[in-house]
Amino acid sequence: MTLLQSLKNIVRSKSIHVAYVDVGSCNGCDIEVLACLAPRYDIEQYGIYVHNNPREADVLLVIGAYTPGWEEKLQSLWQKIPDPKVAIAIGNCPISGCLFNRPHTLVDPPVSKHIPIAAQVPGCPPRPTEILSAILSVAPTVFKDFEVRK
Amino acid sequence: MALSLLYYAQEFLRGEWAKKFLAAKTAPLVTPPHFRNYPELTGKTCTHQLICMMACPAPGAIDVVMTPEGWKPRIHIGHCIRCGLCVEACPNGVLTSGRILESMFYDNTKLSFSFRIDVDTEKCMGCGNCAVACPVNKLIDAQMSHGGRASTDDLLLKVSEGKCHVLHVEKCTGCKTCENHCPNEAIRVARLLEAIHSPEEEL
Ligand code: SF4
Ligand code: SF4
Ligand code: SF4
Ligand code: SF4
Repeated sequence: MTLLQSLKNIVRSKSIHVAYVDVGSCNGCDIEVLACLAPRYDIEQYGIYVHNNPREADVLLVIGAYTPGWEEKLQSLWQKIPDPKVAIAIGNCPISGCLFNRPHTLVDPPVSKHIPIAAQVPGCPPRPTEILSAILSVAPTVFKDFEVRK
Repeated sequence: MALSLLYYAQEFLRGEWAKKFLAAKTAPLVTPPHFRNYPELTGKTCTHQLICMMACPAPGAIDVVMTPEGWKPRIHIGHCIRCGLCVEACPNGVLTSGRILESMFYDNTKLSFSFRIDVDTEKCMGCGNCAVACPVNKLIDAQMSHGGRASTDDLLLKVSEGKCHVLHVEKCTGCKTCENHCPNEAIRVARLLEAIHSPEEEL
């Protein structure tokens, strides 16, 4: 591995940019993602930055049970994210539809039907620590040596 | 001069400092012991009363399966919302999660169930599917005829005058079989779950 590549790997591991999208949740998981930003969990000390712009994101956190309003929007949002990219399902909603997945409802889980999901963080809602460790564990496999692999 | 530079370098350029500057300051927080995680088995014997499944609010979160060691509840991660109701509801203490069992013991609480059955008389066509399908009815009158008409009034559900009537709602076990067998979505079973503070003498 070249020196340049190892330098890139170090920089990448310290600068993971996260965008989150709520495709129809109860807002519980959104609040847990916000709690990651607060001093108690302080996600930025791990080099993870949350700001909601898919164009500069590496990781997309998908929250919610996928309501019909997202039919084309989620796909195009996913395509806007530059490579290397990864989507993580946060909460039960994108995995199973959670409590909303009942007869006569319009939700269409799992979200992995619509965009590729690399990791799932189950829980209703998951703890901020669980979200944090999911991002940290998925990041090296996706971003390390990305240029060489391609 | 050189000596003092060396002294400063030794004092301030410590590896520990550099590491702290570059790496995370605190490890991810550990999960506290009172955290209600996914329910786990305590090893006590499950008697297959399915009360956990009845209490569970999340679709597909829990089922009770036969294993070589007998009946065992099984939690489905991704569906379970970690509410802990199954832990509280189980009469045999088969499940545990966080400090639920301890606090139930100290506060002397238990869950009580009751069910409410609503028949929408506008929609009900009196077909009797519900009364025939109901497993409680089956125990009372195994010979119940097609159409849900029967002679005895001990039944839970009975069809008379072309409509379904709820006679003994207290016998309902909340299985929702009737709901699943009604062709017209006319019958609805609602579960009323109450945490009761049982009186001291009951212990
Ligand atoms: S998983 Fe639970 S907390 Fe998260 S959005 Fe769905 S219902 Fe809300
Ligand atoms: S903790 Fe709640 S959601 Fe999970 S299996 Fe038990 S009752 Fe169901
Ligand atoms: S929910 Fe009650 S009334 Fe309906 S089938 Fe089950 S026991 Fe019978
Ligand atoms: S199954 Fe439905 S329509 Fe038929 S008698 Fe029962 S409630 Fe009425």
